[in-house]
Amino acid sequence: MKTKMKILWLSAISCNGNTHSFLNYPYMEQFLDDFEFIYHPVIDSKYLLQDIVSKQIACDILLIEGAISKEYKRADVSIVEIIEKYSKIVQKIVTVGTCATFGGIFRESGYENASGLHFYQEKKLEDFKYLLDKTISLSGCPIHPEILANTLYAIKKSATLRLDNFLRPKEFYAYTVHNGCTRNEYFEYKVDNHKFGELEGCMYYEHGCQAPFTHGSCNKILWNEVSSKTRVGLPCMGCTEPSFPRQNLFSTKKNMSIPESLPVGVNKRVYLTLAGITKAFKIDRLEKKLFDD
Amino acid sequence: MIKLIEKIEGEAKLNFNFKDGKIDFVDVEFMSTRNIENILRGKRAFDALVINPRVCGICGHAHLIATVQALESCYDNLQLSNKAKAIRELTLNFELIQNHFKWFYLTMLPFFGYKQQILKATYPTQLMSKAIAVFGGQYPHTSYAVVGGVVCEITQMDIIKIESYISQTLKFVEENLIKIDSKTLLACKDADALLEFSGDLPDILREIKKRDMINHAKSYDRFIAFGENSFFKKGKSLKRKVSHSISLKDVKETEMPTSFAKNVSYKEKYYEVGPLARAMVNKTALIVDAHKKYDDSLYSRILARAYEITELLNYSKTLIKNLDLAEPSYIEPQLDISKLTSSGYSAVEAARGTLIHKVEIEKGIIKNYEIITPTQWNLSGGTREKLGVSQKAMVGLSDIKIAELVFKSFDVCSICTTH
Repeated sequence: MKTKMKILWLSAISCNGNTHSFLNYPYMEQFLDDFEFIYHPVIDSKYLLQDIVSKQIACDILLIEGAISKEYKRADVSIVEIIEKYSKIVQKIVTVGTCATFGGIFRESGYENASGLHFYQEKKLEDFKYLLDKTISLSGCPIHPEILANTLYAIKKSATLRLDNFLRPKEFYAYTVHNGCTRNEYFEYKVDNHKFGELEGCMYYEHGCQAPFTHGSCNKILWNEVSSKTRVGLPCMGCTEPSFPRQNLFSTKKNMSIPESLPVGVNKRVYLTLAGITKAFKIDRLEKKLFDD
Repeated sequence: MIKLIEKIEGEAKLNFNFKDGKIDFVDVEFMSTRNIENILRGKRAFDALVINPRVCGICGHAHLIATVQALESCYDNLQLSNKAKAIRELTLNFELIQNHFKWFYLTMLPFFGYKQQILKATYPTQLMSKAIAVFGGQYPHTSYAVVGGVVCEITQMDIIKIESYISQTLKFVEENLIKIDSKTLLACKDADALLEFSGDLPDILREIKKRDMINHAKSYDRFIAFGENSFFKKGKSLKRKVSHSISLKDVKETEMPTSFAKNVSYKEKYYEVGPLARAMVNKTALIVDAHKKYDDSLYSRILARAYEITELLNYSKTLIKNLDLAEPSYIEPQLDISKLTSSGYSAVEAARGTLIHKVEIEKGIIKNYEIITPTQWNLSGGTREKLGVSQKAMVGLSDIKIAELVFKSFDVCSICTTH
């Protein structure tokens, strides 16, 4: 019998959104042949949470979901103690989702110093510094199931993953969410009259879309194998980034009519030059309805 | 004796008190909260559309719909197309359906001597998630319902895709959950007739009878549902007598000294919410028959939740057939939210029952936000003198394992209960 890689799925201050997003992984049958959860929030496991916190069960990968605070307990034991115990014996630690990586929404939950494992938003933390070499961050609110499953397979294969400054695999996070959006042409040619409820238009100019400056593969690896937020017309909320959630999410903050946050790596001069050129032209096809009579 | 109940979207502690070998009181404790209501205070009103789905990974969509409706109720004369209303109803239906499959195959089955059926849970729930994603871009955690409608425009091809997901899910039901044509099932009015069929649901129902659990888990026989839409009716049912005149003004939330879960009562009394309550208020023939025969027992409660899957799949087909694609998905509100000072509320039927959101905004900023979740109605602990709904259902049992089954039959969600 082949040995399965053992995973501990540990929830901290969370909504279980990553847990349920993972249940959307299409090849679950094969996954469960290759991996075993020694504990999972929903899937039955050999051990009870009480076993996990009172003993030290053999384990290869520690998955952490949710923001972390010394004050937060599972089965009467501080989540920090549980992490300390298992981080020693595992090969890898994966922070699943934006709360476990950067603090996310629940950094505001009122628990003392709630944060991600290594980061409070962009700030690198001193606690757990010794685990930096073991950790892979998979930010996103929630995580995309394929990104989680395939990262776990990479660990299983001992594949070398190139990571960014926040320990996120570049293969998923070197892209921006803007890459692959079906509304790209409206962005490129600066057609800025987007309205909700339409197939046409780009939400970057008015409606707060953060896709051009958010790292992620949402439009490359589609959600539920079907679509993405920006494709259906919902602005990207920047949920993979340390700043998530920003304020005033449905509105683009502008200074002198220029968006405050520009696409990754594009400076103001470049942006203004390109905007000036595109504004000089009117492209009829993009001004009209997509399905034109 | 204290037992930690696990895998209920977190945990709860049940402290069982026995007298003469029978449970005479259960103290229910939910141990943590994430203070969502505090997180919302001071934020821009529309940001609640992004924050609130994150109340819960399994029923977050209901929180989105409750949020958008609460915000919309703050406006005077806000326009909403029938198309937008129907699309919101559809995605909420799909969320309810995915939830019920997970509850049945992951939580209920293992109590009856079967292994947890992960793939039977994930296959249909993935189809329902896809259907939500066609409208909302992703599931979980979309914010596609905004004040004035929905952000998506829907095409014929989208409709065809969604119809396929629904048909495929119905097929799964007919081949696994209850092996009978869904039309026949929907016409069935005899709760005992189900025992003659094969399938995972009848297997469990037969097991309940066989193990003499048919009278287990009776509570107050008082049901309530506030979340009205084109399918669910608002009302309360007392011993099968239904009244539709109920008001949210009579709903009261009370803090408890020992648990983070606040109690909820209607006119000072505890009511059960959820699929069984909805079916009683809607006078769904099959479920009313189950209730006539077995009251508000484990049998009726499990049947009602599983049956709702077929009902909602079938009704979703009707909703889709009646969609007028020529209508707008979104009608821009006349007033900018930053100029709005107002208050509002909403009630929607989430997977586990009535979910209530209340909001106060001042010039577009959230001054106060209150959430009452379905699990608070069913699972918050009362006192010995006045037991909560699930407490009452557990009193009198002698076996802790069966008490856990009864507790979980209400479909526990720890994170929602305390939010």
